[in-house]
Amino acid sequence: MADDAVIEMNETDAPETALRIYEVGYHINPDTKEEDLDKVVSTLREAIEKTSGSFIAEGAPSLMKLTYPISLREGEKSVEYDRGYFGWIKFEAPIAAAQTIEAFLKQNKSFFRFLLFQTVREDTRAKMKAPQLREVKRTDVIKQAPRRVEEVSAPVSEEDLEKALQDITTE
Amino acid sequence: MSNNILTQNDIQHVDYKDVDLLKQFINPHGRIVGRGKSGLTAKQQRAVEAAIKRARFMGLLPFIQK
Repeated sequence: MADDAVIEMNETDAPETALRIYEVGYHINPDTKEEDLDKVVSTLREAIEKTSGSFIAEGAPSLMKLTYPISLREGEKSVEYDRGYFGWIKFEAPIAAAQTIEAFLKQNKSFFRFLLFQTVREDTRAKMKAPQLREVKRTDVIKQAPRRVEEVSAPVSEEDLEKALQDITTE
Repeated sequence: MSNNILTQNDIQHVDYKDVDLLKQFINPHGRIVGRGKSGLTAKQQRAVEAAIKRARFMGLLPFIQK
């Protein structure tokens, strides 16, 4: 019964104007000049703003090497990209906006690859803890070996030395 | 002690941009490791799989590696 109520509420709560959190990741053509990047990104931002979307977080585009070459057909010839300016934007927008933004990205030649998907408002980047060193309890205690006290030998006379030698040899 | 990396580091969401984290769930050929080896829960494994596939599409991770 309770589940039915929840489903009903969701159905009525999901018209085209209901807000969802989306993230768009994109690769900008590497031939674009660095100073023009802002311009390209601002066109995407404008497209999002047009659909009454609000921004949550953003990652500025930075040049990175791709793990495989992406080839695209541009008219007659095919172009291969082995690097691109990768950036991302997280935003909140109505459901209908997703299609509009996707259509905008598809027709814009500067973005040679993009990804648009629904996500959550919270920061999803993983924060890895520094590896904790395990505390080891020592069971064996190393005892310090008693230090040898060096004998300070006084200068030995030759007579004593010979006497001592003879003692050893006679034994 | 389990070898579940996500639980150990208290990671609730898996992001496709965290390439270093995701690399721990693919083998040297670039294939996604199974639950038996990853030690993840079913829910976490699904999240990791989705993130790896997104990262592959965006060229952040390889589909195959020689």
